[in-house]
Amino acid sequence: MTRLSAIVYHLSRLGLAAVFIYAGFIKAVDPVTFAGQIANYQILPYAWNYLVAATLPYLELLCGVLLLLNQRVRPALLVLFVLNVIFMLALTSAIIRGFDIDCGCFKPDAENRTSPLMALWRDIGLLLLMIPTWLLHDRRQPAEHNK
Amino acid sequence: MLCALALTVGFSINYQLVMDAFSGKTVATPVGKTVPPATGTASSVVTNAYPDLVELEELDELLAEGALLVDARNLAAYRISHPLGAVPMPLEELTTRLPRFMQQVPRDRVLIVYCTGFGCPDSFDLGARLLREGYRQVRVFEGGFPLWRDEGRPLAEGLE
Repeated sequence: MTRLSAIVYHLSRLGLAAVFIYAGFIKAVDPVTFAGQIANYQILPYAWNYLVAATLPYLELLCGVLLLLNQRVRPALLVLFVLNVIFMLALTSAIIRGFDIDCGCFKPDAENRTSPLMALWRDIGLLLLMIPTWLLHDRRQPAEHNK
Repeated sequence: MLCALALTVGFSINYQLVMDAFSGKTVATPVGKTVPPATGTASSVVTNAYPDLVELEELDELLAEGALLVDARNLAAYRISHPLGAVPMPLEELTTRLPRFMQQVPRDRVLIVYCTGFGCPDSFDLGARLLREGYRQVRVFEGGFPLWRDEGRPLAEGLE
């Protein structure tokens, strides 16, 4: 693994870790508000919004922490990839139905809320960040073992 | 494995919340906000009462019977667009607006309070306050302004 690819790998890994730890933490401390944000998408039955709000932030947190610690990177990336794709499908459905709602990605903020379209672009950015993390993690292993 | 661990932790921590939601109890309790204590004497009967929810279908019936929509969002949001016939009552302006409201609106009128949709606690805060002020039939429309607008209900612009 070259020095440049090592830097790219660690930067993208830490970037993803920071995003998902922040997103997970801020939603984990206020599950009721997060449940409301999910309910705004009008996809799940009422009570299921609360089940998702109760569990999803901890999945984001756990995966973020694993990325931060550089442990189980690929399983964590796989889970975050699937989550991200689900988020994007939900956002696309909100855009198609013309909903003007807060995306529910981070903390709800009436002044600076993120529209579904902006959130979709951000999710695409996160997906792009996952690619070098996944690929470079593979190449990193032999070098690490040879130490 | 990863998913199971996170889901178990999340579910364990929020067990009561999830159980309340699935048993149909009102769980959208206000978070991080407090309502200033009611002043005067009208509040002494129902100090801990909490408003019941109302769904869109029942809301239509109540409005046809003369219920009043009360908007708990901020004035800027109200000015841009609000349900036709709604009265603005942002929490930050309760001290100035509530006394006049109480003079004009009888206590037995059905009030439907809403704010910016699911998860918004302001409608519950305002609903609880109105109950403490003596209004006997206060309901919260959880879908709020977004659902009203998305269902194509009549809208108005401007301030009062």
